Amino acid sequence: MEHNVLASILANSCDTACCGMWFYLIVTILKLVLVFAVILAFVVLSVWIERRVAGWIQDRPGPNRAGIPLHLFQRFGSKEEQPCKKLLHFFGVPENCWIAKLFRWLRLDREIPTFGLMQPCLDGAKLFLKQELTPSYVRKVYFTLAPMLVLGPPLVAAAVIPFASGFSTPFGDVNMCVANLGIGPLWIFAISGLSVYGLTLAGWSSNSKYPFLGGLRATAQLISYEVAMGLSIIPLLMMFGTLNLQNIVQYQADNGWTILPLWGEGLTWERWFMMLPMLISFVVFVTCVFAEANRTPFDMAECETDLVGGYHSEYSSMKFASFFMGEYAAMVIGSALVVTLFLGGWSIGFGADAALHAWCDWFAVICQFAMFLIKLVAFIFFFVWVRWTLPRFRWDQVMKLGWLVFLEVTVANIFLTAAIIYFIN
Amino acid sequence: MEAAISSILFYLFATVAVLSAFGVVASRNPVNSAMCMAVSFASTAAILFCMGAQFLGIVQIIVYAGAILVLFLFVVMMLDVKSEERNLSNLPRAIIGVVIAGVFAGMVTKAALLLPDATAGKCPVKALCCTDYDATPDTTVAEGELSGGALPELAQDNADVKSLGETLFSQYNIPFVILSFALLAGTVGAVALGRKIRKD
Repeated sequence: MEHNVLASILANSCDTACCGMWFYLIVTILKLVLVFAVILAFVVLSVWIERRVAGWIQDRPGPNRAGIPLHLFQRFGSKEEQPCKKLLHFFGVPENCWIAKLFRWLRLDREIPTFGLMQPCLDGAKLFLKQELTPSYVRKVYFTLAPMLVLGPPLVAAAVIPFASGFSTPFGDVNMCVANLGIGPLWIFAISGLSVYGLTLAGWSSNSKYPFLGGLRATAQLISYEVAMGLSIIPLLMMFGTLNLQNIVQYQADNGWTILPLWGEGLTWERWFMMLPMLISFVVFVTCVFAEANRTPFDMAECETDLVGGYHSEYSSMKFASFFMGEYAAMVIGSALVVTLFLGGWSIGFGADAALHAWCDWFAVICQFAMFLIKLVAFIFFFVWVRWTLPRFRWDQVMKLGWLVFLEVTVANIFLTAAIIYFIN
Repeated sequence: MEAAISSILFYLFATVAVLSAFGVVASRNPVNSAMCMAVSFASTAAILFCMGAQFLGIVQIIVYAGAILVLFLFVVMMLDVKSEERNLSNLPRAIIGVVIAGVFAGMVTKAALLLPDATAGKCPVKALCCTDYDATPDTTVAEGELSGGALPELAQDNADVKSLGETLFSQYNIPFVILSFALLAGTVGAVALGRKIRKD
């Protein structure tokens, strides 16, 4: 009797359905880890990009000195006096030839260069080691909860972003998107909209005037721009006819990116007409993403000239760092959403996706993932570029732009798209 | 296994929702009440997600938790409401409250008992989302992927958004339009109230 039960359990555990279940679980966990690692790596990377590009725009070097100094090795027992010079000697390169000069210009004779990439790591270490100071007059529970509520939502929202297409294995198909929900963009809006609680509570619980004003500004701004943001993607959804981000990207891979429809059926009249509402949507959506991420020119909530530090004035050490990480994570997610909706997501473009898939699934997925990351870095660069180029708006200008310009433009844009679809297609 | 997990999740989120709804009433600090309400909304949305009604769940989060409740919080913080004073001696008010709550609870219980197989001891979520409660709900994404749903067209792609829209704009079109007008009137009224009146 016992044996029979055991045998049947064993037999059942190896059948296809159960195998599929385990495969699904393991693959999902792997994808989760990958997405989490990519987002956190991009938070660090975007801090570095920000500082390098800021330096570049302001005509100063930026963080370029945080290399690994060579005298550190001597300290730990290396007998080499000057490894770089020895290396040049070994290959018989003279002291004053151009290779040696290039080496010296790259500071290779003094350190192992990291191009300032060590800087974010050292900043993080510094913030970890700083004194954690909680003022006595704050409301403790909400003061502790607020940084978590800012950092958490962007990381959760990343679950629906597709970072490559899929491939099939003997055990089942793998979809390179953690949660292939039928409501992709809405999920991102809803979850990243929850970080507004963090900002509000941070301002309120600090129990101090400037943070409170910063929190109120952040709330008002986020709610206002969420309206225009939601309305601006409706023309896209009318064109795609789906809310699933993976299918949206697949559509763009087949028919051309939303704002670059060059392949697929080619440039017909309908597509030229459709370009107009898509471009309007793109401009409005990108501006709203800037406002939602609380970045200059929309960083009213932490405007130093009127509000000291804004909602995080009273925070120190890692709590302060979580606010910053949350801001950068929101920026990364916003960029990923723009790339997914307007710039073709993982699609390589020009019909290369189908060709690669026909050749080798694995290679195609890796190429698409790389393409997605390249697009993401490019858009983050754009984010930073805008920040260091445009001055900050005034508060009433921000509200006017949101409610009096964007709302009307997006509603008119929906009607325009409907007319084009009805009369031309 | 799937049935067990969805039952566990249902009872978990339902408990959280009820407890935090109790917290809304019991808490003396208005900000605590508002945050409890947010948790309650979020767990209701989670229950909707479990049932496969992803669109309704996400709308619950966007509209209630993301916008309306934040405005509540905003106003509470702006006015800096102190802890309210208890006034239990007001007997008529308490009786009215109990009567309204009782009628509403009775309505909800009646509706729940009318569900298919509500009394048979099956999981309420199963009973709600499919008539054949032994079958797995056919709207979960995980299921679609498990059964090797092809990538280009996921079988259940925006099924619930589509059915909701079709029902709303065909069967319930007139109530929908009437409700939209009510909301429009509310918006116009809010703008009229909030407008600065010039003296000159």
